[in-house]
Amino acid sequence: MIEICGLNQSYDRRGGYTLRDINLTIRERAVTALVGANGAGKSTLLGVIANIVRPLSGTVLLDGEDVRRIKASAAAKKLAFLKQTLRLGIRITVEELAEYGRFPHCGGRPRDADMEKIDDALRYMKLSELRGRYLDELSGGQRQRAFIAMILAQDTPYIFLDEPLNNLDIKHSVEMMKIVKRLVAELGKTVVIVLHDVNFAAAYADRVVAMKDGRIMSEGNPEEMITKDVLDRVFDHDFNIAEHGGRRVCLYY
Amino acid sequence: MLGLLRSRRKRIAITALLVILSLTSLMVGSLGGVTPGALAAGDKTAWSVLWYSRLPRTAAIILSAAGLSAAGMIMQAISRNKFMSPSTSGTTDAAALGLLLSFVLLNRQPGLVQLLFAFVFALAASALFTTLLSRLKLREAVYIPLVGMMYGGLISSVTTAIAYRFDVMQMMSAIALGSFARLGSFTMVYVVIAPLFFAVLYATRFSIIGLGEDFAKNLGLSYKRVVFTGLVIIALVSASTFVSVGPLPFVGLIIPNMAASFYGDNLKKSIVDLMLFGADFVLVCDILSRLVIYPFEMSVSLTISVAGGAIFMFYLLRRMYVGKKREAA
Repeated sequence: MIEICGLNQSYDRRGGYTLRDINLTIRERAVTALVGANGAGKSTLLGVIANIVRPLSGTVLLDGEDVRRIKASAAAKKLAFLKQTLRLGIRITVEELAEYGRFPHCGGRPRDADMEKIDDALRYMKLSELRGRYLDELSGGQRQRAFIAMILAQDTPYIFLDEPLNNLDIKHSVEMMKIVKRLVAELGKTVVIVLHDVNFAAAYADRVVAMKDGRIMSEGNPEEMITKDVLDRVFDHDFNIAEHGGRRVCLYY
Repeated sequence: MLGLLRSRRKRIAITALLVILSLTSLMVGSLGGVTPGALAAGDKTAWSVLWYSRLPRTAAIILSAAGLSAAGMIMQAISRNKFMSPSTSGTTDAAALGLLLSFVLLNRQPGLVQLLFAFVFALAASALFTTLLSRLKLREAVYIPLVGMMYGGLISSVTTAIAYRFDVMQMMSAIALGSFARLGSFTMVYVVIAPLFFAVLYATRFSIIGLGEDFAKNLGLSYKRVVFTGLVIIALVSASTFVSVGPLPFVGLIIPNMAASFYGDNLKKSIVDLMLFGADFVLVCDILSRLVIYPFEMSVSLTISVAGGAIFMFYLLRRMYVGKKREAA
């Protein structure tokens, strides 16, 4: 379980807060989506929870333990963090990337058990045929799947994804969100994901956390969150909520 | 399985070539008498030439070439730039400055003291340059070696000024030419073995670092610690090769690029073959330098520069061409 208490974070010293008094409990075996305008602090919050960014004050408890007290190598077996889009300057194959995911477990010398995990991850992401291909030869969707395969090989109960839909077209975005749902349903993962598009959050998340100016504005199930009242406040924008096939859809254009 | 077989075959080919070239290197030299026949007949002169000159020379070539190739690859991984190498980032020039200062301040010293001076300066220079690069946001990767060469030029102008002031210009120009003909100064090149061992051990870590700081952190790696380890390896290799054989330009630049086009950037897969291949390349260059004006020999720096310069141009042009094509797409 992840509990966040009294988190504050600031990048400049004159007191502009990026995160302000954040208290949040992340539900296990569920997809939690962080939504909000640019600069609302979504990515920073994700970074702090994943122990990539140091907070000014406050604590993040991972299964009752302070994240900052956990050794880096031990933390890497519990939580995996994937950033928006990695600038790929280097040529590695899909399989090599997945092998890096085993690093926290085997220190760069994979044993048979590690190779099995890598095979499983590649098969799960339907990349077995592409395992020998270089990442820069793949399409955006395939490459994103390769990074998810790496995280699966890392075999952590918690997965944090920072805007994984950036640079993906509609088809691949939907595919990616379906994969995320399967990670929770089939593999029992806990996923926290930063999303830009509220409709994706509404359709695929179990919990939605809306942020504005470094604070959590509101939090709840998609049904509670996808209302004109909440969204207008969070995004400073005039929303129309439509209903389609029993599900709410936001129209903001 | 097929891939494994093919990579095995590559390694066997490179190793076989290394054995042939090493044997050739042992037999070639201004003294013609060292032949398999003479050695078999127990010719004393032939044996002593082999033992005291040819063997250490061949070992020095293999070790320094393997070291510089690995150092270049690590540097390129850390900086995420294919044009970085000890000779295009001021590291070699700083090693020269250190070596000169050890002469000026302490006179002639045993190799280990010289090595220490060269190492400290090389480490400081490469650490400074890496920090500079992370601050400077250069748009084109091609500019980085240019900035590096300017930085190296700056360091070597200080070296020249000091050499001029203390009247040791002659010695300086002798150090500045790479040569495997310096009998008896090869002991320090064996120091390379230690950093090479760590380079192989840390190969996966360097590749992961190449994917960025957050990526490394996610996998539980301390970015700074791995970068520092890399810089120590690079500085130690540069210093020990410089002290014993002088500068070998281009080796740390082109060998990693050639290896990357065959093996990709996963260091764990490429690093051993890369070192063997680097040794092959320098052995060929050194054998050529011994033969071109036989019975005299040229500086190996010259041969390497001619061959290496051409290969470097190829990669530079290809990079620019590919870059243009990507922009157009």
